Amino acid sequence: MSLKNLQGRVAWVFEEDDYDIDLIVGVSNIKITDLNELAALVMADRAPGFAATVQPGDLLVGGRNFGYGHPHYPAMRAMRHLGIAGVVAESFSPGFFRGEMSMGFALVTCPGIVAATQRGDALVVDWAAERVNLPARALSLPLQALSASERGMLEAGGLIPYLKLRAARAQGQTA
Amino acid sequence: MPHTMTEKILARASGRASVRPGDEIEARPDFVIAYDFPGYTDVFFREAREEFGIDKVSSPERFVLFIDHMVPAATPKEEELHRVTRAWGAAQGVPVHERKGIGHQVSAELGYAQPGAFIVHFDGHVSQLGAFGAYAFGARKGILEGFVSETLALAVPPTIKIVLTGTLQPGVMARDVFHHMVRVMGPASCAFKAVELAGPVIDAMSIEGRQTICGQAMFLGANTMLIAPDARTFEWLQGRSLLKVEPVYPDADAVYERVVTIDVTALEPIVVVPPSPANTQDLSKHLGLEVHTGYLGSCASGRIEDLRAAADVLRGRQVKPGFQLNVVPTSQAIMVQAAREGLIEVLAQAGAFISSPTCDYCFGRIATMADGQRAVSTGTLNTPGRMGSVNSEIYLCNAAVVAASAIEGRIADPRPYLLGAA
Repeated sequence: MSLKNLQGRVAWVFEEDDYDIDLIVGVSNIKITDLNELAALVMADRAPGFAATVQPGDLLVGGRNFGYGHPHYPAMRAMRHLGIAGVVAESFSPGFFRGEMSMGFALVTCPGIVAATQRGDALVVDWAAERVNLPARALSLPLQALSASERGMLEAGGLIPYLKLRAARAQGQTA
Repeated sequence: MPHTMTEKILARASGRASVRPGDEIEARPDFVIAYDFPGYTDVFFREAREEFGIDKVSSPERFVLFIDHMVPAATPKEEELHRVTRAWGAAQGVPVHERKGIGHQVSAELGYAQPGAFIVHFDGHVSQLGAFGAYAFGARKGILEGFVSETLALAVPPTIKIVLTGTLQPGVMARDVFHHMVRVMGPASCAFKAVELAGPVIDAMSIEGRQTICGQAMFLGANTMLIAPDARTFEWLQGRSLLKVEPVYPDADAVYERVVTIDVTALEPIVVVPPSPANTQDLSKHLGLEVHTGYLGSCASGRIEDLRAAADVLRGRQVKPGFQLNVVPTSQAIMVQAAREGLIEVLAQAGAFISSPTCDYCFGRIATMADGQRAVSTGTLNTPGRMGSVNSEIYLCNAAVVAASAIEGRIADPRPYLLGAA
């Protein structure tokens, strides 16, 4: 299996370091599980109408330690519901990274990305070449390679299919 | 070969003679711990059954569930979630503890926090069991692997050693030390690493203080944080043991990725300023700022020494009229101890509103702030909106600062009260 390259526009640049992603839907809404309800709350405070601007495959760009705090799932569930395909950030907070990778959501560590890009830019994440390309700016930045298990999890589409795959492999070895 | 505590614990849990940072291992948790929360436990139960066909978890004695959020329930939906949790526990033979306190504390009280144990939870604040020498890790969704398999796949993290030297000044508490570590080292400085904490400050520190510090490891980015057990640890654990494992200690020549020494002698009480737990600043910079509400509780603070500190400040004094001071002991056992010591009486006479243990004050489910209100809090996090309106603010600080601020209605220095100068 190989990872599919990500190709999309930058839907938003979260420039701040240590960004708490619960703010995306509002901390008071983290117990909401209905996706339409959550999607309607996305960025309501800082960019009303944001949802309507997202196209399937769009990406978010984040600063250093993106996802710091208590990163609950609703924010990125809502973003995925809108069509967001992944986040490219300077670096990720480990709890956020673990949680969202287990959802099969692509997180790309790419130092330098915040300064290099703006909202609306086209981004290409080339996993094989380990680069994030910004064609319109004739820029290409290195991305931090995934570990074998992280890659396996993304390829499988998240923790559940990955665990099933590993269980099947283990069974194949003993049979 | 010399090893860190982390390496020794993960080697035993994975059945290997030794492990090194970066090794990809399959480790068997000694305990799988969770509290019920919508989108977490209810989903894990369903996914284990529907996706993996697991009707019964393997070795249910390794599992324990807590009902500590949404206690008491305020809506039928919340109570329904708790009912699902109780039913799952009963069907699986897994204990479900409720109304005993915040799970991370009660886990320790019940004997799950054994030195040398490997423990997994979805919530990272479980790292506070590291205060007893356990490797306790918040795997988030990854805990599901513990429900459907005997082992969890993980990479052995590098270990960073933090040595705390010097002497704490009066009025400076464990959580000031932790926030100072974030200030000195940076909020992502230990990302994806294990931290082992040592030094004379730790040696002299109470178990409660160690729990406070270890429980917030995530705000340094760390997977977890642990402290080698000592006489104080074993004394605390007397009569509380659910697991027979050998305690582990770091080898004197263990290899750390980094050793950081932080002297705390000059440390003053701090406040962590919104919007992020990364913003540690000296209390003295913020004295006099008007505050409307105070929260003393949470899995980070709210233990007996926090209650004692607050009572020392408030004894014979009054909370400013109009100020809302909420005091929530972290567990029932702590509440009983506080009652026995007369602390409840002191706090209630001063005008504190005292609740039975619950997580709910920490995330604004109750005692919710309106626009423009500002809290001093010993909770875990100061994200705008965590305790109510997104236009309210949370200043994190130690229990004595909460108490002093409650008297003045402004962010206040507790030291004059503690030293009898106020």
